[in-house]
Amino acid sequence: MLIGTSSGVGKSVLTAGMCRVLSDMGRQVAPFKAMNLSLNSHVCPDGSEIGRSQALQAFAARTEPEGAMNPFLIKPKGDGMCQLIKRGRPWMDVPFKNGEDWSAIAQETVETCYRELSIRFDDLVIEGMGSPVEINLRNGDLANMWTASMADSPVVLVGDIERGGVFAALYGTWLLMTPEDRERLIGFVINRFRGDPSILGSGVSEMERRMDIPCLGIMPRLELHLPGEDGLDLGATVIGRGCDELEHAWDADLNELASAMRRHLDLDRLIRAMGP
Amino acid sequence: MAHTSNQGRREHDARVDRQLANGVIGPDRGCAYHPCHHPSQDCSLCYCPYYPCQDPMLGEWVRSNRDGSPVWSCQPCHWIHRPDVASWILERARERGASNAEELRRSVPKAEVEAIFRRRATSIMVLGTTSGAGKSLMVAALCRILSDMNIRAIPFKSQNMSLNSCVTEDGDEISRIQELQARAARVSPMGCMNPILLKPMGDDRSQIVAEGRPLRDIDVATYYGEFTLGEGLDIVRRNLEIVRSLGDAVVIEGAGSPAEVNIYDRDISNMRVAAMADAPCVLVVNIEAGGAFAHVVGTLALLPEPDRQRVMGIIINNMRGDPECLSPGIERVEAMTGVPVLGVVPHVELNLPDEDSMGIAARSGDGPYVAVIRLPRISNFTDLDALAMEGASIHFVTSPEELEKADMIVIPGTKNTVADLAWLRITGLAEAIVSLRGRVPILGICGGYQMIGSRVEDPLGLEGTAGDHIGLGLLNAVTRFQKYGKRTVQVTGIHLSTGSPVRGYEIHMADTEIGGHEPLFLLGDGERRHPEGACSEDMVFGTYVHGCLDLPGFRRHLLSLCGKSPAGIAPPVPDEVMETSLDRLAAAVKEALDMERLLDIMGLRTCAG
Repeated sequence: MLIGTSSGVGKSVLTAGMCRVLSDMGRQVAPFKAMNLSLNSHVCPDGSEIGRSQALQAFAARTEPEGAMNPFLIKPKGDGMCQLIKRGRPWMDVPFKNGEDWSAIAQETVETCYRELSIRFDDLVIEGMGSPVEINLRNGDLANMWTASMADSPVVLVGDIERGGVFAALYGTWLLMTPEDRERLIGFVINRFRGDPSILGSGVSEMERRMDIPCLGIMPRLELHLPGEDGLDLGATVIGRGCDELEHAWDADLNELASAMRRHLDLDRLIRAMGP
Repeated sequence: MAHTSNQGRREHDARVDRQLANGVIGPDRGCAYHPCHHPSQDCSLCYCPYYPCQDPMLGEWVRSNRDGSPVWSCQPCHWIHRPDVASWILERARERGASNAEELRRSVPKAEVEAIFRRRATSIMVLGTTSGAGKSLMVAALCRILSDMNIRAIPFKSQNMSLNSCVTEDGDEISRIQELQARAARVSPMGCMNPILLKPMGDDRSQIVAEGRPLRDIDVATYYGEFTLGEGLDIVRRNLEIVRSLGDAVVIEGAGSPAEVNIYDRDISNMRVAAMADAPCVLVVNIEAGGAFAHVVGTLALLPEPDRQRVMGIIINNMRGDPECLSPGIERVEAMTGVPVLGVVPHVELNLPDEDSMGIAARSGDGPYVAVIRLPRISNFTDLDALAMEGASIHFVTSPEELEKADMIVIPGTKNTVADLAWLRITGLAEAIVSLRGRVPILGICGGYQMIGSRVEDPLGLEGTAGDHIGLGLLNAVTRFQKYGKRTVQVTGIHLSTGSPVRGYEIHMADTEIGGHEPLFLLGDGERRHPEGACSEDMVFGTYVHGCLDLPGFRRHLLSLCGKSPAGIAPPVPDEVMETSLDRLAAAVKEALDMERLLDIMGLRTCAG
């Protein structure tokens, strides 16, 4: 499972890359994101509506996207209301803040979807949502450490260096996690690094020492043309329907991404942690 | 020079006497030692009337190289050679009839000058957990709030990395955002407010603009390895002293995150400045992307103890929705860090220039589709804000397909014309732009102007590889890079074909011959009136004037050439829009923050009345 220090750190793309890496190894892979807050959705062959990034991740995994890969899609409608899409179908409109009322049912659905997928696939690559330590948001936790614990999954924490403050974001996230949740962390990744790595110097080892987990790698910033990640990226990239040409371009980008991940990340360690 | 002897004293005073007779001479650039104190120095009082003042704030005793005797060195003095100080002293001396050094010292005592020019403002520093935390606008808001209270606020950011710069009245190049902050504070923007401006050139290299003037290009390793703790620190210290003498309160902006453990000891834009100014700090976090509590806790946990103690408050910024739901988080963070949250500032929609190079996104409107070429090293893209105000929909494009819908094309400025010209060809954009010639208006600004000409000559390789580079050929103009230097100047004039006023600034390192085209603008007045830019009959326009779209005449002319007419409502003048935005921002911040506590932190409570 990949979790991030905030939205927009590149979890979605790295999840897609991980799907491609594992698929290249001949594994049957599926992406999974318990809950997605996005207005960018995709309609699967079975008619279910899921987050666009999950559709892309399924494409990266060389499998058909389906509703179970994104059990909950939250689509803000304005006026403090949002539409809940449950397993690809519109379920109900709820006030934006109010997660408590339906989170019990949500847990059940997330777990069912996860179990079904885990029977049919060799590996599931799980993406978290936003930050896992939003003290005030309980349903945010559903998509993060609750899912990790339900799936008994090892967790990688991703930080984005592009906007600065990556060490603080990683360390602060770790500080706010419970000791049990920290136990699940197998390492951290610094994403979107640009320029001369010598500048990072002792920063990485200091973080390894403070958090007592290894840095699994530093991913360079890649110029990819994959569709925009999440709802917060409104108006970023406008994507046509998946015409052949576009999918061809995605394929090339995903291969580039996977090969960069093989070069820059300690994938052996990561895959070992995933178990058999 | 040692003046321990009476003879030395007399010789020195004789020189001061001559200076008094000469009056204000400005900088003596012909002098072999210029600039011996700082680049903007005035040399009228080269021989200081107060020497050796033995003021520990201004100098130190050193040993003479010649014989080891003690010499008073005032090399670090940032005061007597300031243009405003030097001319003030000389004027007072004349008024008071002082004709020699002795009389000057008596009639214009050092203490009197100091009382006026060495007042040291109180200060506060705004730190952010990341870039884009909202520091810049928080500084602008505080400047406006203080100014509304009749407290003279001065913005300061020691080091800014940005491609959006502008030129002050004195010809100094500073970041656009410091200009905005100065406007918020209702003071004139000055080079000292942003003494180090780094303009990324791509590939790890940046141009350093120091104290408003291009200094040199540098790579990131050398910057942190050599520059920051040497020259950089001197520049920051000197200019911080200057801004502290200009107002009542200096509002300092940090850069990025203060907790970058890898460069902590070499960072001259955050805690080191706070220490230098002995400034209390507030930490701003943008809650929009999530993880705000983690960012705050992590930042504070990574700051070494003495620095951490400077952080007196936390500001949660850009909150959409009900701040009440943050209470449990706020309580936990306050308990963990011992630092109070001073307030939760709501998201405010503003018409203000973009903060930095990362804030590019499509802006929508129903009017003409303006395709702005998103050059890899794009700079000064705030030029386009004014078009959006007319209802044009602005799209930053990177591929030829995206030009299909264009009603107008803008090629903006760039930090590297030659490299981005090559990029235009690789992406196929060059061909697509040329194919639209005559069908839609095409405007090149600065670097974009250079690109749409027929040739860019760079014999010295200032932009990379030396040689001639073929332009898009939309104009016959030829651009020549001849020396490492820069034209930075504010300009006003008229748009020739409509006669409407135009105003802006030029920042460029090359000159362009317009090759027989009609000029676009007539700039300056009187004898200094000169044509600028070029336009062709097939709607191609080129100019060096950034901000040429800010006043309505020229931009409406351009939009009228588009297939679609601009939206009917008369847009407000950007200046007014900006003022209203600043007022709204200040009001929102004032409302959201515990202002009394903040003023208390700054030591300003008494001034608040």
